[in-house]
Amino acid sequence: MASSSWLQRGNNRLQGLLLDISGVLYNSGVSGGQAIDGSVEALARLKKAHFPLRLCTNESQCSIDTLVKKLQRLGFNVQEEDIYSPIKAVKSFLIENSLRPHLLVHPDVLDEFVDIDQSNPNCVVIGDATDAFSYAALNEAFTILMNMKQPKLISLGKGRYYQETDGLKLDVGPFSKVLEYACQIEAEVVGKPSKTFFMAALAGFNINPEHFLMIGDDVVSDVGGAQACGLRGVLVRTGKYRPSDENHPQVQPDAVVNNLAQAVDSILQ
Amino acid sequence: MAAGKRISCILIDLSGTLHVENQVIAGSIEALDRLRRTNLKLRFVTNTTKESKRLLVDRLNNLGFGVRTEEIFTSLTAAKIMVLKNNIRPMLMLQPEAREDFQDVPTSNPNGVLVGLSPDSFNYQTMNEAFRILGNAGSLIAVHKGRYYKTLEGLSLGPGPFVSALEYATGVEAKVVGKPQSNFFQSALESVDGLADETIMIGDDIRDDIGGAQAIGMRGILVKTGKYREGDESAHGIKPFAVCDKFVDAVDMIIELL
Repeated sequence: MASSSWLQRGNNRLQGLLLDISGVLYNSGVSGGQAIDGSVEALARLKKAHFPLRLCTNESQCSIDTLVKKLQRLGFNVQEEDIYSPIKAVKSFLIENSLRPHLLVHPDVLDEFVDIDQSNPNCVVIGDATDAFSYAALNEAFTILMNMKQPKLISLGKGRYYQETDGLKLDVGPFSKVLEYACQIEAEVVGKPSKTFFMAALAGFNINPEHFLMIGDDVVSDVGGAQACGLRGVLVRTGKYRPSDENHPQVQPDAVVNNLAQAVDSILQ
Repeated sequence: MAAGKRISCILIDLSGTLHVENQVIAGSIEALDRLRRTNLKLRFVTNTTKESKRLLVDRLNNLGFGVRTEEIFTSLTAAKIMVLKNNIRPMLMLQPEAREDFQDVPTSNPNGVLVGLSPDSFNYQTMNEAFRILGNAGSLIAVHKGRYYKTLEGLSLGPGPFVSALEYATGVEAKVVGKPQSNFFQSALESVDGLADETIMIGDDIRDDIGGAQAIGMRGILVKTGKYREGDESAHGIKPFAVCDKFVDAVDMIIELL
């Protein structure tokens, strides 16, 4: 690990943490996935030290409640208020902008939107729908967009892929791309790496972004996205990490660590 | 007009040039017969991602054109040539009717992905499979990158969006093989042992037929049938060698030039 300049940048001492969930705390997969070695203890130590932190995820494959329960089952000390996800963010966004979505999302998260008007849709919201990404469903969303005067597509994150216990899986990004390319539009991203999203995740802490650190396994979305907002960004060598990520042409992490446990060792030193 | 230049080979587009759906464009059958009585080499060149050569031949022959399988060169033929040349064992994202042309291509333990218009393959499971092959340094080949196509029920997603999704996920750029790509016309010429500057391409698509053919030194004759729209002859900065009302007029002109 490089010297701990990422912990202390000039006078900007590290005061708060944003942690990615998938690939940092655990790898998702069948039967609930698997905790990454040392991450349960690392999170427990941060909590015990009352270190300001938020779990900043692009997870849109399950409801927040399900996610919390899944993490708790793996041994993580996590509450619903610890989590900032695009599902929370997009709901306020839809309401603020009088948007009535057509939802192309995972069946398990439909319930989160029951209180949102979905009649006569004026936008499409696409999330990590996994098996629900069928040709028919994509075609339906495409047709709805093409019938709008100004097609509006909202993508819950734009990740390319993630690591599951049985291998890499396509994330929502490529499927947003299907609709972007077909309609010749650009999706509005609610989730990492959008600046609005990072800023909203920090809200309520009363700590400047320069004092915050984001830890994630996605060099572009987590590390690059956070750095663009003035945070520090640290890459972990877990989850979907690949060695080539350390020589990314656009993004240079403030540090690369083996895993969350190693980062937390340094932070709590 | 570049008169005096030798003509030895004719490439002919199918849909919109010889026929529109199940209707023969007037005079085309007889014109093709006259063309056959010359010593010119012929190839029928078409972009299709969902029909085998056999299906195309059946359709043309049912309409009254006498056409043989080996005279047809499609974007799937071009894809097949590229796959074999580069030792690619492709995962085929193609409809069953199109797979027919690939029966003799090894596809086990794939090291590449070939994408045509294949609604059956455009789903999460199959896309993941393709993604994993490409992540392993595989090659991505697209029969074309069309955004959508029209059906009786409305618009439907074409292969382009799914190719673009795989490109986004992997950072691998697709090689596109159909018209108007130069490699398409080059391979079509090779298949008939023709020379670009002795070849005339007849088609109704200013960009895909005329632009693509002329880019490698052929002469293009644009016909005002099929998808032709007023003003196409000067669209996309492409200047056709000639513009004719129909295929039969193009044939008249060619025979005159011989």
